[in-house]
Amino acid sequence: MNGDSRPYSGGVSTQQQGSTDVVVESRRDDAWVTIVWNDPVNLMSYVTHVFQSYFGWTRDRAQARMREVHTQGKTVVSSGGREKMEIDVQAMHSFGLWATMQRSGQ
Amino acid sequence: MRGFEARGDAAVAELDSEERAVIARVIADVGLLLDGESFGMEREQVEDTEEELFRYLRGFEAALSDPEDPAVLRILPNAAPTDREVADEFRRLTEPELRATKVDRLRVMWLALNEDGPEWEVPEDQAMATAAALTDVRLVLAARLGLDTDDDAEALHREIDGAEHALATGGASDPVLNPERVWLGMLYQALTWLQESLMSYVMRDDV
Repeated sequence: MNGDSRPYSGGVSTQQQGSTDVVVESRRDDAWVTIVWNDPVNLMSYVTHVFQSYFGWTRDRAQARMREVHTQGKTVVSSGGREKMEIDVQAMHSFGLWATMQRSGQ
Repeated sequence: MRGFEARGDAAVAELDSEERAVIARVIADVGLLLDGESFGMEREQVEDTEEELFRYLRGFEAALSDPEDPAVLRILPNAAPTDREVADEFRRLTEPELRATKVDRLRVMWLALNEDGPEWEVPEDQAMATAAALTDVRLVLAARLGLDTDDDAEALHREIDGAEHALATGGASDPVLNPERVWLGMLYQALTWLQESLMSYVMRDDV
C-alpha cells in the first residue's frame, strides 16, 4: 500500500510564508504563551484543521502557522494567563499535538 | 483497503477482515497502555462502582509524574519541560481527563471495527474524534519505531520501500531489516494513509 500522504516530513512543498508571528508583550494578563512543536507524526492537513477549528483561524492563517511549525520547529499559537494556557495546551494534547506552555519572553 | 470517502452524512472506508483485525488489535493495545483496561472484556455490573473508583484513584496516582513509557509520554507529553512545578501541576489537573477522553475515542473506533462487513463508517460528527484517536495510535507506533525526527520518518519510508521492492522482485531482503519493524512500519503507513483520507473528507469544505 502506498499513498502520497506524508506527515510534516517531506512530500509537501514548503513555501516561504511571510511571518505572521505576533509579538507577544509581557503584560500581566498576557504573561504566558502556548507553543506547538514540530513532530514527525502529525499530518499537515490534520494540524491545519485543528488550528482552524480550535482557534477559529481561516484556512490560510492556519496553514501558514502549520508551515511555521514544520520549517521553524515551533510556533506560538496563543498567549494569555496561565489558566487559559493550561486549557489550550490540554486541548492540543487531546488532539495529539506536542504543545508546551511557558512564561512569555523565556 | 480503500480510504475514507464521503457517503451521506458519513465517511466510509473499506477494510478486509484481516486489516480490521490487525487495526482493532493495535487500537486495543493503545487503550490498554493508557488505561490498563482491555476493550471487549465483559465487566461485571456489581463491580462497576468500585472499579470506577479505583480507575479514578489510579489516574491520580499515575498523574503525579511523567509516564515512564516513552510511547505514553508521546500521547501525554510534558507541558513545561523547563518548569517542573508547572509541568507537575498541569499533569495533576489534566491527565485523568485526557486519558479518559483518549480511551473513550479509542473504544468507539475499536467498536466500529468490530462490526460485521468490510465497511468502516464514521459519522461526520465523529470524524475529528476518529482522526485524533488515529493520531494517538500513530504516536504510539512512532515511539515504538523510534521516529523522533522528520529524518527518522523519511528513513522508515525508504526502509519499507526497500523491503517491498525485495518482496516484489523475490530478491534477498536486507538482512539488517527486522521483520517486526517492517510490519509495524507498514501498519503505521496504512494508518497514516487512512487518516489522510479522513482529513480530506473533514476538510472538503474548509475555507
